[in-house]
Amino acid sequence: MNCQQFQEVLPYIIESGGNHEAQEHLDTCPSCAELVQDLQYIAQQAKLLLPMHDPSPRVWAGIEQSLNRQGMLQEGRLSLLGHTTTISTQSKSWTPLGWMMAFLASAAFAVLLINYRPQLPPSQSSSQNMDVQPAVTDDQILVSQLAQRAPAERKAYEDSLREVNAYITDAQAAVNQDPEDVAARARLLDAHQQKEMLYEMATVRGLP
Amino acid sequence: MTQAKKIIASGLTEAEAIERAKGGDAESFEALYGLHKRRVYSLCLRMTSNTAEAEDLTQEAFLQLYRKIATFRGESAFSTWLHRLSVNVVLMHLRKKGLPEVSLDEALEPQHEDGPRKDIGARDNVLAGSIDRVNLERAIESLPPGYRIIFVLHDIEGYEHNEIAEMMGCSIGNSKSQLHKARMKLRELLKLSRAEKAVRR
Repeated sequence: MNCQQFQEVLPYIIESGGNHEAQEHLDTCPSCAELVQDLQYIAQQAKLLLPMHDPSPRVWAGIEQSLNRQGMLQEGRLSLLGHTTTISTQSKSWTPLGWMMAFLASAAFAVLLINYRPQLPPSQSSSQNMDVQPAVTDDQILVSQLAQRAPAERKAYEDSLREVNAYITDAQAAVNQDPEDVAARARLLDAHQQKEMLYEMATVRGLP
Repeated sequence: MTQAKKIIASGLTEAEAIERAKGGDAESFEALYGLHKRRVYSLCLRMTSNTAEAEDLTQEAFLQLYRKIATFRGESAFSTWLHRLSVNVVLMHLRKKGLPEVSLDEALEPQHEDGPRKDIGARDNVLAGSIDRVNLERAIESLPPGYRIIFVLHDIEGYEHNEIAEMMGCSIGNSKSQLHKARMKLRELLKLSRAEKAVRR
């Protein structure tokens, strides 16, 4: 088997490893071995991208509104967020309690965000690690506040927090590497927004 | 965990919620939304890279679900069926926006010039350890939609080729072939990105 023959069958054998002939070629061809290594690495890295965050509550509100408008849902049923849904164009209006809770959550998050520093990987210098402490503390405060929740819910928050922190670390590293990189800056902003949503869910909305 | 035994809300299994939603039960539909919204939204967001568009598409997918759920016969997993519906919503949206290669047929046969080159004899440093989430996300966004959707479904969301084949209406071999081309294209993009960064330094 030569390189061309190997690469023609590669899409069908990369998961399974292929037959003896393909394996023999792989053992003796550094170029094809490198190719397989890269493709497997990409697949492994892609798995780290999940899970993403939940859609905004606007999505469910929009669904309810549309279904109400079409007469498919019962009118006036309370939705997940404590705001009422009716057929009128004011259907997304929040109750005073909803507004107050959202305001308190935003204020609490703003305080946390001001003090927030992204968690750096272990390879960073010890002086940089000094900056990490406030972020860890903020997260720990949040997690401790969730201690009363059910174990599964608490774990979901902890996992999400870990993932979003890792995402922020990656995005921050990309910005540090090239401060002019607009896309990297946008990703850092998005990562912080994801964290904001997580804090908001933890303090007001709760997990689905 | 099987679909039938999965408890999703108020002691309701997913199968029970589906049956009740078929009869127009709003709370069961809401429970199904809660269970599947993240996956549907993730798909929409990864395909559009735009939060507002992804939210609109998620909304549209669930509205279609509400209208069509009575036609779900349980011949495939509900999540697969819903994802197929969502894939169609996304592809239709991209087609309306005028992006190339977004119909199901075209998605499975992207234009030749977009295809990855054969890698025979070409050697370079391996990618391992040199890419992070941000670079990979950026490269995925650069993929043509036809490649991107297969890559998102298989490598990110973890669907098997037989499920993707069912969602996309193609053969399992075709799904494998398209995934391979997507990974090859990503490799090319990531190496290019790495080389550009090296030049800038």
